[in-house]
Amino acid sequence: MSILFKGRQQAISGKKVGMFQRMIMFFTDHIRQAVNSLGELYRTPFASLMTIGVLGFSLTLPSTLYIMVKNTEQISEQWQQASEISLFLSDNVSEANAKQLVTRLSVWDEIASVSYVSPDDALDEFQLVSGLGDAIKYLNQNPLPAVVLVVPTSKHATPLAAQMLLDKLRQEREVEIGKLDIEWLERLYALLDIAKELAILLALLLFFAVVLIIGNTIRLNILNRRDEILVMKLVGATDAFIQRPFLYTGFWFGLLGGIMAWITVSIILWWIGWSLESFMELYQVQLDITGLDLQALTIMLLLSVSLGLTGSLISVNRHVKEIEPK
Amino acid sequence: MIKFEQVSKTYPGGQTALSKVSFHLEPGEMAFLTGHSGAGKSTLLKLISIMERPTVGNVLINGHNLSNITRKQIAYIRRDIGMIFQSHQLLMGKSVFDNVSLPLVIEGHTRKAIAKRVDAALEMVGLKDKARNLPITLSGGEQQRVGIARAVVNRPPLLLADEPTGNLDPKLSMEIIRLFEDFNQAGVSVFIATHDLGLIARMKYRTLTLKNGKMITDGLDQNEEDALR
Repeated sequence: MSILFKGRQQAISGKKVGMFQRMIMFFTDHIRQAVNSLGELYRTPFASLMTIGVLGFSLTLPSTLYIMVKNTEQISEQWQQASEISLFLSDNVSEANAKQLVTRLSVWDEIASVSYVSPDDALDEFQLVSGLGDAIKYLNQNPLPAVVLVVPTSKHATPLAAQMLLDKLRQEREVEIGKLDIEWLERLYALLDIAKELAILLALLLFFAVVLIIGNTIRLNILNRRDEILVMKLVGATDAFIQRPFLYTGFWFGLLGGIMAWITVSIILWWIGWSLESFMELYQVQLDITGLDLQALTIMLLLSVSLGLTGSLISVNRHVKEIEPK
Repeated sequence: MIKFEQVSKTYPGGQTALSKVSFHLEPGEMAFLTGHSGAGKSTLLKLISIMERPTVGNVLINGHNLSNITRKQIAYIRRDIGMIFQSHQLLMGKSVFDNVSLPLVIEGHTRKAIAKRVDAALEMVGLKDKARNLPITLSGGEQQRVGIARAVVNRPPLLLADEPTGNLDPKLSMEIIRLFEDFNQAGVSVFIATHDLGLIARMKYRTLTLKNGKMITDGLDQNEEDALR
């Protein structure tokens, strides 16, 4: 409804257009403008690709880092679960004595499970995994000691509790050496924490840069279309109407940049996957690089779209207002 | 329709464009605003379309004081005023149809309604067969008529024109003025700023004259001819 002239209808507020039709018009309008903005990007392919590239690569770095950290965590979790206490028994302990020890330990509260590995079993396993194969057969005698593997309950699997348990186990007469390899795990975790923080910090900085870049690109777009904006304001376009195509441009930058980042990360992971796989085989760890699942893709796209929108929103708020017909 | 009450406009820097201008244009009236360049014609029109705000005094349209209009409302005010410019202010990269339909698109009309109204507006200015052309391929007079079609396409109650015949020869100028007369007959108030005194002399419309920012005649008394000298 017109402000100055009572009863003069200005289309959209008129009674002739029904609620349902107005909603349909709203959507078709937005879709049309979104497509138009995409067309604008297509018309200046080089400039658009550069902006999308900056966005894509900026997102690639933190995404890759994040996925690496996540995967390393997952791998080390496998190790954590395998982190059992190995008790190497003295040579003079007979198999019967060893079995007795096992039964004794199995009633301890701190212990989830105990298993006995005889020297022969250990040799078989060693032969299997070491790759030395038949060469081992030429040994005169089995050099391996009997081992009792103790898995602590989850409550006692924390580094401190496990250490205490180990001290207690060392008191046992049959045990010659008790080994709990937890220190390196602690170090790994500390390292992972640093890597994680670094990834977050890097991500924040790059996100900030992306917002600035998009903002500046949109600013140039606005200035390029200054004359058009002036004419639109002269014939009664609201700021919101003028802003919309630029916001859509930001949206597309974000979406396309996100897709590009996703593709780049996929390529990087596929590339690294090869060398990582053979490396992991040495450590007997199953490796499936996870991370680029649907959830990660959604998060990446949402993030890049919101970065694109934020950049264009900041720019549009500042610069569309500045252009006024004089 | 348009009422100025003791309106003064001083630009930053101290240059006075208008001083104590008062006049009243009735609804449905057609009037000319004249004066030498720099007399304040453009400023006066800008005060009506809120491109500028008065330093002192009130501008009223249809009884509404424009000083009460907020920045956000300006866009809606401009939808009620059809504006025509000497420099046409067309989008050169868009077709005639797209140019004329712009006010309707902004108001959010349906596709069908837009096509119908744009056709009608182009018919009125005699450019129906050029709807698909780019403005750049049209002559000056045709471009001006595209501007007029855009100004009237949403049927505003008020038309403002700033030197609409500025670059046109007398014959084309007359054609443009005839168009304005047609709209005026349909009940639209028309306010035309021009320094083309020859054009005005051939018409019997009310003429308001500005000189150095002052309204020296508002066209209601008979001695405007003297005032122009």
